[in-house]
Amino acid sequence: MTPTTVQRKPIPQVSGAKPGGGHLEEYQANQPKFMMRCRQECGDLAEYRLMDQPYVLMSGPDAQEAFCRAPDEVLGQAAAYTAMVPVFGKGVLFDTPLDVLKQQLRIQVDAVRYQNMKEYATVIANEVRDFTSQWADSGTLEMVDEFLRLTLYTSTSCLLGVDFRRRMSAEFSRLYRDLEHAVIAIAFIDPYLPLPEFAARDRARARLGEMLEEIVNQRRASDQEYHDALNTFMTGTYDDGRPLSPHEITGLLIATMFAGHHTSSGAATWTLVELLRHPECLRTVRDELQEVFKDGGAVSQHAMRAMPKLESFIREVLRLHPPLVTLIRVVEQDFEYKDHVIPKGYRVVMSPAVAHLIADVFPEPWRFDMNRPEPEHLFAWIAFGGGRHKCAGNAFAILQLKAIFATLLRRFDFELVDPPESYTEDHTGMTVKPKAPMQVRYRARPVTVPNT
Amino acid sequence: MKVIVDLDLCQGHSVCAGECPEVFAVEEHADGYSKVKLLLEHPPEGLRAQVQAAAKYCPNRVIRVED
Repeated sequence: MTPTTVQRKPIPQVSGAKPGGGHLEEYQANQPKFMMRCRQECGDLAEYRLMDQPYVLMSGPDAQEAFCRAPDEVLGQAAAYTAMVPVFGKGVLFDTPLDVLKQQLRIQVDAVRYQNMKEYATVIANEVRDFTSQWADSGTLEMVDEFLRLTLYTSTSCLLGVDFRRRMSAEFSRLYRDLEHAVIAIAFIDPYLPLPEFAARDRARARLGEMLEEIVNQRRASDQEYHDALNTFMTGTYDDGRPLSPHEITGLLIATMFAGHHTSSGAATWTLVELLRHPECLRTVRDELQEVFKDGGAVSQHAMRAMPKLESFIREVLRLHPPLVTLIRVVEQDFEYKDHVIPKGYRVVMSPAVAHLIADVFPEPWRFDMNRPEPEHLFAWIAFGGGRHKCAGNAFAILQLKAIFATLLRRFDFELVDPPESYTEDHTGMTVKPKAPMQVRYRARPVTVPNT
Repeated sequence: MKVIVDLDLCQGHSVCAGECPEVFAVEEHADGYSKVKLLLEHPPEGLRAQVQAAAKYCPNRVIRVED
């Protein structure tokens, strides 16, 4: 095909761009709402502008598939992650050439391979049990914060090992928080400005590096066996056989923790709230738990598998409350989609928040329905993204949520303190999260005896 | 029975190799992630349940089974 025979169609433009900022103001006011307007007005491709940067929202299963399948050479991730470079560390992940990035991602994925996952189910269930043993017989809890703490413990246990988690100091939590607090809007423009948040971040990253290097050295000197992510990163090698440096190991651990922590804790919070909003679903899920654990079996990977009802429920929670509103790529080479070309230098965006509310794919999209059939199109439900860079922790995340609720729901009864509709999302930060406070009342259930 | 894998989507999670090592292996791959290697494109009928479990529990829905 010669270029002259191809009839290129222009990309539909979203109305309301203002001189200078473009759509920035509307985008910042409410990102999901703006994204929905883009699709409603323009369809599968919608071009908008933030300051000088043109973006194209790709929505609808086919456009989402094209986004997900595009090779790294065409749609790159790196430029969207500049704010994370000083958090993960120089020379880690998106601060490396593409071929090194691919090798580091390979080693990172190994941490959530089948072999490790078996260990994780038990580790998570133990953490949940220990965590809730601090609760009284009944009381009121603010769940946004509770789940943030719980998932920090579970991820630390799975990543750094149970022995580290037991010794986990207040210092470690504080350093991790200092890293989180540096991921602010301005960091996506220049993460090296002389700001106190960034100075604290750099001190925290350096100190975490020291702490982890110490653990790495201790482990290298001992002959104990480990089945956590740290072990995977310590034994992983580049294609030429070279191991990761302690600095790179620290970077991968931080990156893995960042990927999984807020996303999982937000999902756990919404799972609980939606269960309490839908008592008939809660009954269905509890019946399934009773069946699975009727002989008193352990919360194992195998048991977690046999819970299709809880899994459908979680998938519906993630449909209505996807942890990320947008995924962004940089167009590195002109990118063709149907009769359109998205030029090099543009950014393209995929939005789970938009994708999951398309009525052709999900009829009555706002209705919570745990029995909703799974869409036939593989790229219609994209809570974990999709394609080559699909969240590698997707199975871990589902396993973790199942393990948390298999334990919580058997030990406690819960009820919402406030009116059900008052529990909402907070869109004001860099990521979407459940809006604190989210109060629930809990009461310990009578101890269940197997087979009675 | 015919097994089809979509390598674009594979990140080498290895659930398939755990479920049915007769049909699936995971090996290093030029394009970054380790990826599934199909050992038998037409597995014997006796492995149907294992192959279907591999497809069902694959975190990335890489595997399709056709009759």
